[in-house]
Amino acid sequence: MVRTLLYMFGGLLLGLAIHLVVILLLPGLASNTVGVQLAAVGQVNKVVTLDPVAPGGPNPLRLDPELAYAVCRLDLSKGPGELTGTLPLSYWSVSVYDRAGTVLYSTTNRDGIGQTLDLGVFDAAQTRLLAEQKIDVDAGLLIVETRTDDIFVVVKLEPSQPATRDRYAAQLGRLACRPLKT
Amino acid sequence: MRFLLNLLLLLVVALAVGFGLSWYAVTDGRLVGAAQIGPWTAWPRAGSPDPDPYTRAYLARSGALQLGQGEGIRFVATADSDGVPLDRNCRYRIDGSTPTATFWTLVPTAPDGATIARPDGPPGFNSRRIARANDGSVQLYVSKTLAPLNWLEITGSGAFWLVLDLYDTTLFSGVGSSDASLPSIIREAC
Repeated sequence: MVRTLLYMFGGLLLGLAIHLVVILLLPGLASNTVGVQLAAVGQVNKVVTLDPVAPGGPNPLRLDPELAYAVCRLDLSKGPGELTGTLPLSYWSVSVYDRAGTVLYSTTNRDGIGQTLDLGVFDAAQTRLLAEQKIDVDAGLLIVETRTDDIFVVVKLEPSQPATRDRYAAQLGRLACRPLKT
Repeated sequence: MRFLLNLLLLLVVALAVGFGLSWYAVTDGRLVGAAQIGPWTAWPRAGSPDPDPYTRAYLARSGALQLGQGEGIRFVATADSDGVPLDRNCRYRIDGSTPTATFWTLVPTAPDGATIARPDGPPGFNSRRIARANDGSVQLYVSKTLAPLNWLEITGSGAFWLVLDLYDTTLFSGVGSSDASLPSIIREAC
């Protein structure tokens, strides 16, 4: 009986080890991450507006159907990138994701940005050059440092009324997603 | 023979504990990373630049585009305030107040994320377009049958979830209001 209990205890310890391994390995093994899904729709240096969530239709990214979304994919291996443009006087936010779906940075237009989005995205080496003033950027550029070079910048915009959705989505599409001129 | 039986027992316990705990951690997750307020559950670190390993595993499994910490937070309810899973054949009253936020949306969805509201109507509630009581609280109805006040008609049958997105909120930020009350979900009729 004691031996059986010892085996069960051993099974418990082995189970905890399996649990930790599963939790740590899962992010690397997942095939349907945000990065994979955004890579399927996003093009490098191009703003892509996501289709509205259709009633009853698939919604793998679990988007809020009340909002309009735009994705800008940047490849920082060739230099820093930027997302610039003017957005309507409504609530909007911008967030930077890596391929695993981790939000590296996010802010909203309530943080004093106003209507103008002027975001520069730099990797660690480029940020160091920026600090050493070896890269010149315009004053007022919102600087975001990332850990990886394959980056997705997502802008979420709330249409003030459902009827304005198409117009707001069109304005999202006019944002400029491109390598930063240095 | 006894040794083999004990070894089998060890393996069964190890696999059940290992995979059972992992499944719990990335679905319910209350003991490891998720926060629960009444029937509502959120992963406060899902929008963080440095999520903990459990939240990272949850992100990988869900595949959902998370709200960043600077944007807001998402709560999901899969059951009413009595713990009974939400059923599209029942009428629910969502009653109470919400934390401070610029605005919020409340969308009923199928478990796979598809919206279930009537196709030619709004997909959910928007806090800017609802009627409120004098104290700012809300009474929202989600059902297939006609209901008073703020009513959202849903379609289909089976289980559903309620997804509450709070935008620009101070909840879990450590600043501003510490009021973490969320509305109750009351099943009225089936």
